[in-house]
Amino acid sequence: MKYRLWLGDYDNDLHLSKDFFKSFLSCKNDNPVPSEAFEVAKKKISNYYEELRKVAIEVAEKEVEKELKREDRYVVMLLKALDELIESINILEEKYRDLVEIKNSGVVESLNRSINDLKKLRKEIEKEIEDIMLKIAPNLSEVAGVKLGARLIEKAGSLEKLATLPASTIQVIGAEKSLFKAISRMKKGKKARVPKHGIIFQHPFIRTLPKRKRGKMARFLASKIAIAARVDYFSGELKEDMIEEVRHRYERIARS
Amino acid sequence: MKELQDLKEISHNIYKAVYNNKEILLTKSSYPPYYGERKFDNLREWIPSRSKLSAVLLKGYNLKFRGDEKLLYLGAASGTTVSHISDILDKGIIYAVEYSAKPFSKFLELSKMRKNIIPIFADASKPENYSGIVEKVDFIYQDIAQKNQIDIFIKNSNFFLKENGEGIIMVKARSIDSTEDPEVVFNEVLKELRKRFKVLAFNTLEPFHSDHIFVHVKVLK
Ligand SMILES: C[S@@+](CC[C@H](N)C(=O)[O-])C[C@H]1O[C@@H](n2cnc3c(N)ncnc32)[C@H](O)[C@@H]1O
Repeated sequence: MKYRLWLGDYDNDLHLSKDFFKSFLSCKNDNPVPSEAFEVAKKKISNYYEELRKVAIEVAEKEVEKELKREDRYVVMLLKALDELIESINILEEKYRDLVEIKNSGVVESLNRSINDLKKLRKEIEKEIEDIMLKIAPNLSEVAGVKLGARLIEKAGSLEKLATLPASTIQVIGAEKSLFKAISRMKKGKKARVPKHGIIFQHPFIRTLPKRKRGKMARFLASKIAIAARVDYFSGELKEDMIEEVRHRYERIARS
Repeated sequence: MKELQDLKEISHNIYKAVYNNKEILLTKSSYPPYYGERKFDNLREWIPSRSKLSAVLLKGYNLKFRGDEKLLYLGAASGTTVSHISDILDKGIIYAVEYSAKPFSKFLELSKMRKNIIPIFADASKPENYSGIVEKVDFIYQDIAQKNQIDIFIKNSNFFLKENGEGIIMVKARSIDSTEDPEVVFNEVLKELRKRFKVLAFNTLEPFHSDHIFVHVKVLK
């Protein structure tokens, strides 16, 4: 059996690698490495832990920097791809339904299979978005939910941008379309109501309230979302009490 | 400045004392404060609302450390708890895994100061990826709010835990199942763990942290 250690390969004897940084990044083993391997390694180089720490820190610094640069762009692009995918699935399903009515040919069956594959891909992308969101925006994911949180990042453009928006803006994110409509009606001298329903109104704590109470909850939620986005952007650490506060406020408003 | 009263060492480098009529926990440390905690001479306050392990100890459950253990820490975040474990295991080694870049970059600052910390930027659900870095350990400490947190613990213990090794898992009910009654989730978790480990103790972390229990386990012989 051969095992890959951070400082080289082990097969009853240790063959030191020429480049510890490289071997550190590729020391994957499908099975647990026997403890003798590490004991041999510790004898092979004199300052084992010192060397390991040095390599670990240097590798981590590089990896983290790479990750910080790309992580929220990745979610945003995934979400855009997901939107396109969902639209394609809907269109293709419609065409498929028309086609089977006419003739259930081999090609039509292939189309059906491909649609099912696309649906699987859709689930995969959704799962990936969820995983990444929990990692890069744990507070936003808790307070807004993963889907809504990702959508807010996408609409704002990045987590950094979302973190700089005031709560009042967050409350109407996604309402732009109806906002523009309202403005153009007003310009024509017609009556129009300024929308206060951004996408945060999809949140279960707002949706499940009677209409007259929603505005109040939306204001509170928007302020918490603003804080969550800031904490995520600046420290990325989960504050466990934030969601409790939101839940309590929801229960109080629901009862009032 | 007020003095610490009734200072006593409850485990290697871990102290309890009374300050302002309140019981507090501290670790012996030659390092400066790391997350806004107070420092009394060579003792660093260990704040229970910031660290679940401090909550466990302040609630009266003691863990005996020798100080030379090897420990694998899953979910290091920015290193609040790791900083204290680093004080405690002054002759040991801590392998600390975290997969989120932002808290990890702060944690790297701590790692650079402390000679007994090996920082690993990796996903704890894939122990195979760091199997060539982490040796066999005496203790696994896990604090990750994930749906499959118990699976993750078992996988890691298969890879890294010594035959007589122990572990502590901070279990968060809501991240395993947000709709089920926490009590039901906790019972399910204990059942799952008992298949593989001897459960030495478990308890809530009230009043310091809600919706959590800690479970202390030992490998079955
Ligand atoms: C509650 S925090 C830990 C706080 C820390 N233990 C302390 O007391 O200072 C949970 C951490 O686990 C991390 N985490 C969650 N899933 C993980 C995984 N699969 N691999 C590595 N880290 C993970 C999160 O990024 C987060 O930083």
